Amino acid sequence: MVEHAEIRMVRRGGSKINFREPVITNDSRFLLCAAGESVNVYSTSTEEFVHDLQGHTDLVTGVVLNPSNHLQVYSCSADGTVRLWDFMDGILIKTFIIGYPIYSIYVSEKHGGVVFVVVPMANYKSSELFQLVAVHLPRSGDQEVEARELSAVLCDVSPHPGAVSFGREGEYIAATKGLQLEVFFFKKQKSYRFSLKSGMKKGVKNAFTCVSCHPKEDCIATGHADGKIRLWRNFNQKKEYTYTTLHWHHGAVNTLCFTPEGTNLLSGGIESVLVHWHYTQENQKDFLPRLGAAITHIAVSPDGSLFCTSHSDNKITIIQSCVKVSAIIQGLVKGDGVWTDLIIDPRSKALVLNGKPGHLQFYSLHRDKQLYNLDIVQQEYINEEGLDQFEVVKAAFDARGDWLATVEERRKKGAELEINLKLWAYDKLTQSFVLNTTVTAPHEDRITGMFFSPSPETTMLVTTSLDDHFKAWLLADHSDTKEGFWSCDFVGGYHLLKPGCCSYSADGSLLAVGFQEVVTVWSPASWELLTTLSQPPGAIRDLCFGRLSCSKYLLGTSTKNQLCCWNLLTCSLEWSTPMDVSLLQADPLSENMAAFCSQSGSSDLFVFKPSEPRPLYSQKALCTGKVQHAVFAPRDQMLESCEERTQWLNRSQLYFITQDMDLLTFSTKTEEDRLLASSKQLMVDDSVAVTPFYLLLGKHRRQQLEKQEALTNPMAERTQLPQGSIAIKELLHTPAHVLPSASFLCAMFVRSLLVSRSSAREEKAEEEMESEKEEEDSEGEADPRLGESAAWAPSEEFGAPALTKAQERELRKVKTFDHSWLSSLLDS
Amino acid sequence: MKSLQLTHQRACAVGNNTWLLAIHPDIGSIMATDGGSSSLGLPCVFSPKSRQYLALCAQDGRLRIWNTDIKTLNQEYVPSAHLSATCTCISWGPCRKAKEGPQRKKRKSEAGQVENQVDLLALGTAAGSVIIYSTVKGALHCTLDGGHSGRVNCVQWHPEDCLLYSGSDDTHIVEWDLQTGKARCKWKADRASVTSLCVSPDGKLLLSAGHTIKMWDLETKEVYRKFTGHSTAVTTLRFATMRPPDSNGLYFLSGAAHDRLLSVWQVREDGKDKNSVVSFNLTDEPQHIDIFTSNSKEEAVRLAVVCKDGQLHLFEHFLNGPCKKPLSPSCTVQMAGVEDSPVPVPLLAAALTTDTHSLLLAYGNHLQPVMERVEVNTAERHVCLTRDVHATLSLTMETTVSKVKTPVVNAKSKVLVPGLPGHQATVKGALGSEKRKGTDAKEMSIEERLGKIEMSAEKGVKGTPSLQTDNFAVLLVQGLESKDANILNKVFQTRKDILIKKTVARLPLPAVLPLVEEITKRMQGHPYTAVLMVRWLKAVFMLHTSYLASLPDLVLQLGVLYHMIESRVKMFHKLTKLHGKLYLLMTQVATSDSGNKVKDVDHTAKLVYEEESSDDDDASGDEGLPDEDSDVGGSADTGAVGGMEYRLIVKLFIK
Repeated sequence: MVEHAEIRMVRRGGSKINFREPVITNDSRFLLCAAGESVNVYSTSTEEFVHDLQGHTDLVTGVVLNPSNHLQVYSCSADGTVRLWDFMDGILIKTFIIGYPIYSIYVSEKHGGVVFVVVPMANYKSSELFQLVAVHLPRSGDQEVEARELSAVLCDVSPHPGAVSFGREGEYIAATKGLQLEVFFFKKQKSYRFSLKSGMKKGVKNAFTCVSCHPKEDCIATGHADGKIRLWRNFNQKKEYTYTTLHWHHGAVNTLCFTPEGTNLLSGGIESVLVHWHYTQENQKDFLPRLGAAITHIAVSPDGSLFCTSHSDNKITIIQSCVKVSAIIQGLVKGDGVWTDLIIDPRSKALVLNGKPGHLQFYSLHRDKQLYNLDIVQQEYINEEGLDQFEVVKAAFDARGDWLATVEERRKKGAELEINLKLWAYDKLTQSFVLNTTVTAPHEDRITGMFFSPSPETTMLVTTSLDDHFKAWLLADHSDTKEGFWSCDFVGGYHLLKPGCCSYSADGSLLAVGFQEVVTVWSPASWELLTTLSQPPGAIRDLCFGRLSCSKYLLGTSTKNQLCCWNLLTCSLEWSTPMDVSLLQADPLSENMAAFCSQSGSSDLFVFKPSEPRPLYSQKALCTGKVQHAVFAPRDQMLESCEERTQWLNRSQLYFITQDMDLLTFSTKTEEDRLLASSKQLMVDDSVAVTPFYLLLGKHRRQQLEKQEALTNPMAERTQLPQGSIAIKELLHTPAHVLPSASFLCAMFVRSLLVSRSSAREEKAEEEMESEKEEEDSEGEADPRLGESAAWAPSEEFGAPALTKAQERELRKVKTFDHSWLSSLLDS
Repeated sequence: MKSLQLTHQRACAVGNNTWLLAIHPDIGSIMATDGGSSSLGLPCVFSPKSRQYLALCAQDGRLRIWNTDIKTLNQEYVPSAHLSATCTCISWGPCRKAKEGPQRKKRKSEAGQVENQVDLLALGTAAGSVIIYSTVKGALHCTLDGGHSGRVNCVQWHPEDCLLYSGSDDTHIVEWDLQTGKARCKWKADRASVTSLCVSPDGKLLLSAGHTIKMWDLETKEVYRKFTGHSTAVTTLRFATMRPPDSNGLYFLSGAAHDRLLSVWQVREDGKDKNSVVSFNLTDEPQHIDIFTSNSKEEAVRLAVVCKDGQLHLFEHFLNGPCKKPLSPSCTVQMAGVEDSPVPVPLLAAALTTDTHSLLLAYGNHLQPVMERVEVNTAERHVCLTRDVHATLSLTMETTVSKVKTPVVNAKSKVLVPGLPGHQATVKGALGSEKRKGTDAKEMSIEERLGKIEMSAEKGVKGTPSLQTDNFAVLLVQGLESKDANILNKVFQTRKDILIKKTVARLPLPAVLPLVEEITKRMQGHPYTAVLMVRWLKAVFMLHTSYLASLPDLVLQLGVLYHMIESRVKMFHKLTKLHGKLYLLMTQVATSDSGNKVKDVDHTAKLVYEEESSDDDDASGDEGLPDEDSDVGGSADTGAVGGMEYRLIVKLFIK
C-alpha cells in the first residue's frame, strides 16, 4: 500500500445504507443512516446526499439523536468509540473511547449523560455472548475522552439492535433473546424474565425477533419468527403478566416501531408490506404494500410526520404519515450475488449489473449514484423465502449500445431448467429499450457466456452453453418488413466438449471458444474452424484477445494455475506463467490487461501488456476473497499522467467487485488533484432563511418599518418603547410595602387621565409605535427585551420609593394601552 | 397603510387573472400553433460542468429541476408569489465542494471522491428580489431583498468569490455578498434597464447590457470599455475566450431580441473596438446559448445556439481578428414528431459536451421537457431527428418515484420456441461449401418460379374441365395454389389413411413441394393440427420420396421439419416414463378399490392429468380423441413413435 502512494484503492457505490435503523431529525428535514465507516446525511425532501460524518475507523453500528440536544447525534462503531456530532455542519464534537467493539447504542431522555451500548462480555471476548452496559459519558472539554465508567445492565443480550428497547419515559428496558423476554426496571433495579414455550413442534419459530415499547403506556410489543406480534402488559411482576397476539405476517416480523404518540404500531417483514396497526383497535390495520423488497428497519420521525423503512435491497423509502411514498434513497443494489458481469452501457456510460430481482441496475460511475433499474423479467416478484424465480444471469451490450441481450433463468432443484434469451433494441423514437425477440430454451443447459461481436458491420451474438454447443445468433435482414428479428445462424461444437468461455477479437474477425482443455479459433464469417490450440493441464477458464498493437496475442487462463499467451500468427504458445488467475480483463482502449490472481485467501492484481514480460503495475493483497467481476470503464476525459505506474489508468478506470459485494476502483493522485482544483468552497449564509410566516407578514412589516424610519427619529423612540413593559413588570414585581400608597397612585392615575391638550398628540404617536412594537415582540424577537430588562434591574434599588418623572410617564403609558389590567389592579 | 395593502393585493389578484388568461391558450396550443416557442422566453439552464440537471421555470411560474441522467423530474419548487413575482432568470451557482475534512491518511477502501455536486440556484423575480434555492435540501436557501425596485433581468454568479450580480429594470446593478446576504455594492449602470450581465471567467470583469454594452472593472466598479451596436435589447452576453484582456485576445458575444445575428466583439488593447468583429447567422432570435470557450488561439470556440423557432445551430470558429461575412452554422439540428404530418418539436436548450459529436438536448414542452444525449453527425449541414415525445413522456413518468424503468414489450416482438425456424441453425446441405445467403435464395426462387409456371400451365390445361370438386387431389392443388385456408382446412381435416394416401398419390409432382411447405407451416402450429399433419407427411414421404430426393434444396426444406420434430419428441422418453408410472398407479388404485368394493374412483382427475402432460410438449394431441383413457395414451405413443419414424426418415434424407 505504501509503495504505490500515487494509486489508491477507493470504494464506489457507497456502502450499505440499510445496515442499521436510520434516524430522522426533529425537523424531519434530514435523514441520517449508518453507511460503512461514516454516517450519511440525506435530505428527506430531495433524496439528495447532503454530506457525511467521517471519523470512525470501523463499521458504524448505530446512530441515535442526542436526547438533550436535537441538533446532535451519537454514533457508535465497531472501533470501540461513541462519537457525538453536530450533523447540520458535519462537525465531530466529541469522541468517547469505550474500548470494546460496540454493536448497538440506545439512549433515553431520562438517563441524561448516559448511553447504553451492547458490547461483548469482557471474559468471553471471542464468544457470542453480549451484554448491555450503561456508559456514563464524562463531562470534560477534551475532544477525545476515555469513558471507563461502565456498569452492566443486562447480561446475555442479543447483538441485534432491534432486540432492545426503552420503555415509557425510560423507566425500564426490554431485551429479547431467543425465547426469552427480559424487562429491567431501573427504579427497582430488578429484572423480570418471561419465557415462551418452545412447545410447538418447531420451537424455533416462536423465537423473538424484535421488540418495541409503547412510549406512553406500559406495553411491550414483540415480534416473532412465526410472524406473530405479541403485546405484553402487566409485566411488572413475575406471575400475572398478560399478552395479546396479533397475526398478519406470514414470515418473521423483522422490525416493529411505535409512533411517537403510541397510537399506531408499525411492523414489517419479508412480505415488503408496511403494516400499520391501530393501538387501541388491534383488529384494524392499514397496509402499504409493494415496497419492493423485504423491510429490515422502520423509523419514525420524532414528530410522527414521516416514516422511513430500510429494505434489503439497500434502499430507504421515506413515507409520509398519510401512507404515501414520497422519496426513495437508493444505493447500489447489493443482492445475493452478481451473475451478470460488470458491463458498461455504451450509450449512457453507466455500469450495468444485477439489481433488484429480475432487474438490471444502471449505475452512473461519474456521479456515483444509481440511475434506475430496468425490468427485464417483467413478472411480479413474490416476496417469499425459498421460492425460485426468474433471475437475470447474463447480459451484454453491442458496441454501439443499440442492442441489449439478456438471459434469464429459473433454477429449480430436480426440475427442468428454464432459460429465456431476450434481445432488446434501443428505440430512439421512444428513448427506451423495446423487446425484439424472445428465444425460449436457446440452449438445453445453462449458458456460460454471451458476447456481441465488436465489429460494426454485423450484429452477431454468440452464446456458449454447457450443452456442448455454442450458438451464433444473427439479426436477419428482412428488407420487406420494417425491422428484422434474430435467428440462429450457426451451432458449433467440438468433440462434445463443454464450452466454458469465448472471446471475440477486437475487429470481430476471429472467435475463440474454449472447450475444456482446447481452445478453438473460428472465423465468424464462414464458421470454419481455423485452428485449435491446447495447453495440457487444466480446463480453460478465461479467454481474452489482445487489443491494438497486441491483437496477435490470445490469452487464456486455465484451472491448473496457468496463464498462457498464444501468438496467433504462428499458432504457438508465446509464453506461459504459473498463476492462479481468477479473472482476466482487457482494456478496450489500450493494450493493457488486468489479471486478478487469488493467493492464500486474498487477491492480487497484475496489469500487463501481452507483449511485454514485465507487468506495468502489480498490487498484492488487494482484498480478501476472489475477485469475480471487473470491468474497464472508459474515462470522460483522458488523464495526462506521465508516471509510469499510473499510465494504465489514463484512458480508463478499472472497477471490480469483491466477494462481499463492494464496488472498488483505483484513483490516482492526478485525478484527485484535478477534482480538488475544480471545486471551490462556496460559503453562502443561510441564516436568512425565511419561514412562510415571515413571507406572509414580513413584507408588510418591513414596509412599515421603513416608513417609520423615514418619518421619525428612530433612536429616541426605540429606547423608550420597551420601557413601558418594563415599568409594568416593575410595578408588579415590586413588593407592596415599598410601593407608594394606593391613594397616591390613584391620584397620580387620575391626574394622568386629565391629559393636557398639548401632550395628547404626542401620545397618539406613541400609541402607534407601541402597537407596532407589540407585533414585533409577538414574532419572537425576545432578545432585545430581555437585555433591556437586565439593564433595568439595578435602577429598581434606588428608584422605587420616590416616584421619578420617568415613572410618572411610564404609568401614563401603562394606562394608555392596558386599561383592563390597571382597573383590575385597582379593584383588588 | 391598510388601503395601500389592499390595492396591492388587488393588483396581485388582477395580475393573477391576466396571467392565467395569458397562460391558458399558451398551454393548450403549445405544440400546435407556434411550435412551443412562447414569447415569454422562459428561463432554462443546464447545471454547470456535469450537466446533471436542467432548471426550468415554466409558464405556471414553478421552478422544476429535471435530472438529465434518468430524464425525470427531480424536484419542483413553487416560489411564494410565483404568479405575481414570476421568475425571470435562473443561474446555477458554482459547484459545491465536498467538505474539506482534515487530510486523512490514505486508507484502504475509503470512499472515493465524486464529481462535485451542484447545489445553489439563483432566481431573479419580476418583483425585484433574488431567491437562492438549494437543490440539495430542496428548500429556499435565502432571499436577497431590497436591492432592486424593478424587475430583475439577469443574475450571474462570480466564478470564485461568494458574490452574485443582478441587473434590473431599475437601471442598477447590485453586487450581493452571499456570506452576509446583503447588497455589497449598487451602482447605476445605464440609462436604460440592464437586460443582461456576464462575469468574465477570471472574475475581474463584468459585462452589462443596457442602452449600450459596458465592460466594468469589478475592483473599481468603473467602466472599462463601451460597445455599441445592437438596436434592440441585448438578451445574451457570453465570454468566448478565457484569455486576458491585454493581449487583444478577449472576445465576447452578444445576442439581442428580434435580432437574427450573434455578434462577437473583440476587446482590443488600443481601444479601437467599436464594431463587432464576427457575426453568426441565425434563423431566429437566440434563446439558449451554450459555449465552449477557447483557451488558446489554436482552440476553436464551439457554440450551440437554440433559436426561438426551435432550431439548434452549431458553430465552430477560430476567433482571430475580424471576419467580414456573417458565418453560417456548421450544423443545424431540427426535431420532428412522428405524427402523420410531422410537426416540428421545438428544442428548448442544448448543451455541448467534450465529445464533439454528442449533444445534450432538451426538447418538447417547457412543462415537461424531454432530455436526451444524442450523437449528431456534425459533418452534415442539416440534421433532422424524429422523436415520439408522447411515448417518451409516458415511459419516463413511471420512473419518477419507483426508479424502475420498464422497457417496451409489445406484440411486435417475435418469440422463438424450440422447433420454430430460426431457433436452430438451418441445416447446411451436402454441397454445404457454398456461400451463405448468396446463391441459395436465388436458386430457390427460380425453382419456385419454375414450379409455378408448370403449375399454372397445368392449371391452364385442366382449367375448364375440372369442376369435379369432390376430388380431394384437385381440391388440394387448388388450395395450395390459391393459398385458400378454407379449402386446405377442409382437405386436411380428413383422418382416413387410405384417403390421404390416394390424394397424395394423385397429386401432380409440382404440387408436392408446396404441400410439404404447407405441412411444415401447419406442423408449427397447435399440436392438434400437427397430429393431423403427421398422417399427410407420412403419405408424402411414402409416395414421393424419389421426387423429393431429386430436389437440390431439399435439406433446407426438411431441416426445419427435422428440428421441429426433434424438439417435439425430446420429451417423449420422460413422458412415457410418466405414463408408465401413472398407469401403474392407476391399476394399483383400481385393484385396491375393487378389493374394497367401493366404486368412487375419481376418473376425471386422471384424465385431467393426462391432458396436461401431453398437451404441453408433444406432437400428439388428445383433445381431438374423445376415446377412452387407455386409448389416449396409446395414440400419444403412436403419435410420438410416428414422429420418431419421420425423424429417422428425414435424417436419412439429410445424410
